[in-house]
Amino acid sequence: MAQDTNQQKVTTSQKDDKGPWGAVLVCGGGIAGIQASLDLSAAGFRVYLVEESPTIGGGMARLDKTFPTGDCATCIISPKLVECMRDLNIEVMTMADVTGLVGEAGRFHATVLKRPRSIDASKCTGCGDCWSACPVRNHPEIPDDFLPRLELNKEETTHLDELLYSYEGEPGAMMPVLREINETYHHLPRTILEQIASRWGVRLAEILRVASFYDQFKLQPVGRHIVEACDGTSCHSRGARAILERLQEIIGVQPGETDKAGRYTLRTVRCLGLCASSPAMRVNGRSFGRVNLDRVPEILEQFK
Amino acid sequence: MNQHIHTAEDLKGVEAAGLTTLYPNRLKIVVGSASCGIAVGAGAVEAAAIAAIKELGLDAEVTRTGCIGFCSQEPLLDLVVPNGPRISYGNMTPEKTRSLLSAYASGKDLRLDMALAWFAGEEYILTGESHPYSPPENAVAGLPEWSSLAFYRSQKKVILRNCGSINPLSISEAIARGSYRGAMTALTGMTPEKVIEEMTKSGLRGRGGAAFPTGLKWKFASQASGETKYVVCNADEGEPGSYMDRTVLEGDPHAVLEGMLIGAFAIGAREGFIYVRSEYPLAIDTLQNAINDAEKAGLLGDDILSSGWSFRVKIRVGAGAYICGEETALLESIEGHAGEPRSRPPFPVTEGLWGKPTVVNNVKTWASVAPILTRGAGWYAAMGTERTKGTTVFSLEGAVKNAGLVEVPFGISLREMIYEIGGGVIGDRPLKALQAGGAARGCIPPSMLDLAIDMEDRPGESVMIGTGGIIALDDSACMADMARFLVGFFLDESCGKCVPCREGLRQLSGIMDRICGGSGSEADLVLLERLAGTMKAAAVCGLGGMAPGAVLATLQNFRPEFEKHIHDKSCPAGVCRCLAKK
Repeated sequence: MAQDTNQQKVTTSQKDDKGPWGAVLVCGGGIAGIQASLDLSAAGFRVYLVEESPTIGGGMARLDKTFPTGDCATCIISPKLVECMRDLNIEVMTMADVTGLVGEAGRFHATVLKRPRSIDASKCTGCGDCWSACPVRNHPEIPDDFLPRLELNKEETTHLDELLYSYEGEPGAMMPVLREINETYHHLPRTILEQIASRWGVRLAEILRVASFYDQFKLQPVGRHIVEACDGTSCHSRGARAILERLQEIIGVQPGETDKAGRYTLRTVRCLGLCASSPAMRVNGRSFGRVNLDRVPEILEQFK
Repeated sequence: MNQHIHTAEDLKGVEAAGLTTLYPNRLKIVVGSASCGIAVGAGAVEAAAIAAIKELGLDAEVTRTGCIGFCSQEPLLDLVVPNGPRISYGNMTPEKTRSLLSAYASGKDLRLDMALAWFAGEEYILTGESHPYSPPENAVAGLPEWSSLAFYRSQKKVILRNCGSINPLSISEAIARGSYRGAMTALTGMTPEKVIEEMTKSGLRGRGGAAFPTGLKWKFASQASGETKYVVCNADEGEPGSYMDRTVLEGDPHAVLEGMLIGAFAIGAREGFIYVRSEYPLAIDTLQNAINDAEKAGLLGDDILSSGWSFRVKIRVGAGAYICGEETALLESIEGHAGEPRSRPPFPVTEGLWGKPTVVNNVKTWASVAPILTRGAGWYAAMGTERTKGTTVFSLEGAVKNAGLVEVPFGISLREMIYEIGGGVIGDRPLKALQAGGAARGCIPPSMLDLAIDMEDRPGESVMIGTGGIIALDDSACMADMARFLVGFFLDESCGKCVPCREGLRQLSGIMDRICGGSGSEADLVLLERLAGTMKAAAVCGLGGMAPGAVLATLQNFRPEFEKHIHDKSCPAGVCRCLAKK
């Protein structure tokens, strides 16, 4: 820790019984900590600002704008950073952790552990050359390759191997691959998506973004039979709502849900293209046109 | 068929093979087995026919065909009698099939009492030739001829030329009716510039709804710089109430492949993609089969028809997102991303798939290409109106007696469409409204029935039926409920990329819920109009810009009905359950 050269300048008020007395330790050098330190200093306290990272500024320094006014974040925080560093009453301790605190209100004793910075801070111009020159420390952290959490079983592995092999080198393979997995498992199992992310070297989030965009891709397991009620304009005009209500009543779930026994998943679909045979529905890809309320239970019964 | 087709003679050879299966020397039983037929029991009819043949020892064969368009008569079964007529039977059941075939087996009785119509002949649009059937005298006495049926009288089948007449799994039957003649003409006898010129002269405009001149689009793409170019077929027919693209893919997939081949040659593309929505599994299978056949015949691949030109087509399947019907969203999806639209410009003709020049056309547009080349631009341009040439396909459905696919030249009136072709409203109830041309067009009143169908709106003259779906609504429909339904559809399908669409639709939907739920106020209508204006001005893509039209148009045309919901708390049609029926 640097010598406390400013000891003498510490407020005269320390000796004055009426004014502020003592010092305050602020933990965290984000915008809240900085502002608190400045206010305390202005009020006449000696402030120790402890920050664990190499610099103060925190999250706000990374932002473009602030809510709700949309003001420029840097424009707000920069003057405060400079002020904080120049304030003789504030001692900024970066790369430091508060490791102990004893005492009581008004008479605390804090222990602060300061990690080495390995440079002479008084000579630092902020050029950044030390970063590349340092053989040991401060290497930028490269995250490990993404590794799936769970291994696949043999059957799943073979299927995935074949699938990925058949689309190897093909541009835009994401959609057909996801589609085939969705067809095989009736949803997109997380473990398989993780495997694909790892093998293709793309982030899982990228795959999930595509997977969650399309209606037909399901991230949760579905029932044995997928019941789709058409909710297109023609079907709507020919009584699709009543058909859907009948399906909800028999299966006992809302659209998008699966019944407890895992037998049916009910969905609505915007137009099956059977508009001249409306109202229409579909179970496991098998279409039924000119459906009426009496036929609904009959159709469902065909799928055990 | 395994040999490659190189020359016109080779094509003739395949044609001969196709004719023998089209018109065999024994009884041919044809079952309409497109999705619309299967959904109402074509499978059982086909099984009954096969069983009956076995049982009766009939010398006959059973084949499948696509949808001939008369969907309200499905399941349809046709008998093609050697040296006799082709007779179509509607609303078939397994029982009716058995009795028909046993009557035929016992004494060549064609059970005309059950029949719908007979065919005088088959017209081959691509070649201009025809194949007449020659039934013996009195064989079909009293039965109407197919093209004299009210449903077919005004139709002109160009896009649907082969649907319902060939086995969609047979490339030789397609070739027998003239398929790939257009490709032969273009690839072996024309320059790409000449092909584009012919397309421009024909006046063909995009049939997906936006009506952009096809020749111009191709010209832009051919002039765009870059070695790699693509052609894409938009078969993501998400518009509720439209199913003609499905029918073309299920009934005549080679029409699309041939169109794409010609387009690729014209703009200089070596690769093509067909983006089909996942709700159409049969279309995907049929198309894949057609691609395999075309590759085996050398009509796709390298050195096609000995012209040195190579072209390949791949299918990409959607996953249930309406927005992917928008061309830039579709391209994003093919590239393997979430289907969010891109800002335009740049347009796909200069920066499309993977940043390369790309022509995206609808199924119907691609299917219109080959006849223009075989019959000439002049022949095509002679159909339709002064401003909008050619034919297009409409799907006529809802409360009409004759529901199905209708292909007519532009210019016929909505009244003809509903009351002549459609045969009027079911139960002869009054027609209340039409939901026509896509969900974003809202509902139009019967007072507009005399306007001509076109690709653009001209007040007092024509009405735009962009995507071709025409849903007739009788007096049991509530207009506020329809508006609420249509907004709900767009709310579901908004991709959420831009705020005007994502939030605007949520608010519009809330307003319609209030009106239909009995808590609407006059202020809601004002807010609705303001909101719609903002969405139109500020949304990123067509979906957000067009969606408020669904409510606005309906409100404009049926304002008194909305006001009844607000002021009297009543729903005249009795659809909105929270409200009294008055």
